[in-house]
Amino acid sequence: MVLAEIIQPSFLVQPNMKVYINGIGSVNAQQAGYTDNFLTEIQQTEQHSIRSIEPDYKAFINPTLIRRMGRIIKMGVASAKMCLNDAGVEQPDAILTGTGLGCIEDTEKFLGAIIQNNEQFLTPTSFIQSTHNTVGGQIALMLGCNNYNFTYVHRAFSFESCVQDAMMLLAEKAEQNVLLGGVDELTVNSLKLIERLGQLKNHPITSLNLLNYKTRGSIAGEGANFFVFSTKHTESSYAQLLGCKMLYKPENTEEITESLQQFLQQNKVQASDIDLVLYGYNGDVKYDRLYTEVKDKLLSKSSVAYFKHLCGEYHTSNSFAYLLAAHILKTKSVSPSILLDDKKRLVKTILIYNHYRGINHTFSLLKAC
Amino acid sequence: MSQLANELKTEIIKALNLEGVSPEDIENDAPLFGEGLGLDSIDALELIVLLDKNYGIKIDSAADGKAVFHSISSMVAYIESKK
Repeated sequence: MVLAEIIQPSFLVQPNMKVYINGIGSVNAQQAGYTDNFLTEIQQTEQHSIRSIEPDYKAFINPTLIRRMGRIIKMGVASAKMCLNDAGVEQPDAILTGTGLGCIEDTEKFLGAIIQNNEQFLTPTSFIQSTHNTVGGQIALMLGCNNYNFTYVHRAFSFESCVQDAMMLLAEKAEQNVLLGGVDELTVNSLKLIERLGQLKNHPITSLNLLNYKTRGSIAGEGANFFVFSTKHTESSYAQLLGCKMLYKPENTEEITESLQQFLQQNKVQASDIDLVLYGYNGDVKYDRLYTEVKDKLLSKSSVAYFKHLCGEYHTSNSFAYLLAAHILKTKSVSPSILLDDKKRLVKTILIYNHYRGINHTFSLLKAC
Repeated sequence: MSQLANELKTEIIKALNLEGVSPEDIENDAPLFGEGLGLDSIDALELIVLLDKNYGIKIDSAADGKAVFHSISSMVAYIESKK
């Protein structure tokens, strides 16, 4: 395999195979769960972070299990359960979880206990729950599911690695239901570290005006967004996924546009076919210019939308974009809250272009079904 | 006995994050594992650490642990016997 293939993994749906998003479950900053009236009421904040609106977890998780779960586990397990309910699937054929930082709340608890108790009296619960694959494991335990279970921890490629694995699994065996999702949590300490790294804005903000400041930094976010991918189209299918591509550390905009053009050609889609592009604009003037340059060079005829003012920046925030794209294609409506430039096109094909600090770039193509 | 039992119940509720359970809900003689509170093996490890950390008592063998952690009463009796 040549280096270019390693650093630009792209998976194409096989010619006779179609991949549909048949279920959605979410714990996000806009709504406790996901319903058809998603984004009818927009939540905004003047904080430098956006927290998820958490549902009553007892409706989704056995109360005896909840007591040991940290927030990320509760968010992940609940959204997975919502997703399976939505898709009408009891046992998925595979469970794929993507997380950039994993269960950091429990990691902090365990490490904090080591320091506070002078490396003695270490309790097992937070250690057990602190591993990255705890969310996927707890979903499997809840379902009694012994099928393929994998957790990807690849920073801002974590969710996309799940997407590609799901597509490969579906290509290997038709009529599968793959449960996959992206999940990350914010804690007090992680937010402090993000701030110290200079990744937050250092002035007062309002999240809905995120792109107006033209300054460095962004707002931090969290969330859990799960999907059921299947080769079977159902009446409740949200959208069809055409492909997903990752591009690692491109040197310049030309490399990005070239990679994107290849991706579109591989999927037999012209740039002019794309009705709406969901960009990962996060308000950081240093990195947002990449989106604008790609837009101006290649995607000037498409409507322009963004999403990180609604969910914040986190490693698996692209899963929120998938939720948004699927919602748009299913409901055939675009919330004015995400539109930057409306070309008044009927939205049948959506490109999601997201990158994390100019390092991890991802392209995803979805169309109406 | 009563004061120590209540103190122990409060500590157990906190350590095991027993949401919605108050000290009054835990009967002194009710089994902690299986029936009663329905605790499991991970909880047993938490209780071993709790006794060590809060009372300076180590459980030396699994057989002792089974008897000690049967109920609040048995735990209280064990703590008092070690004072």
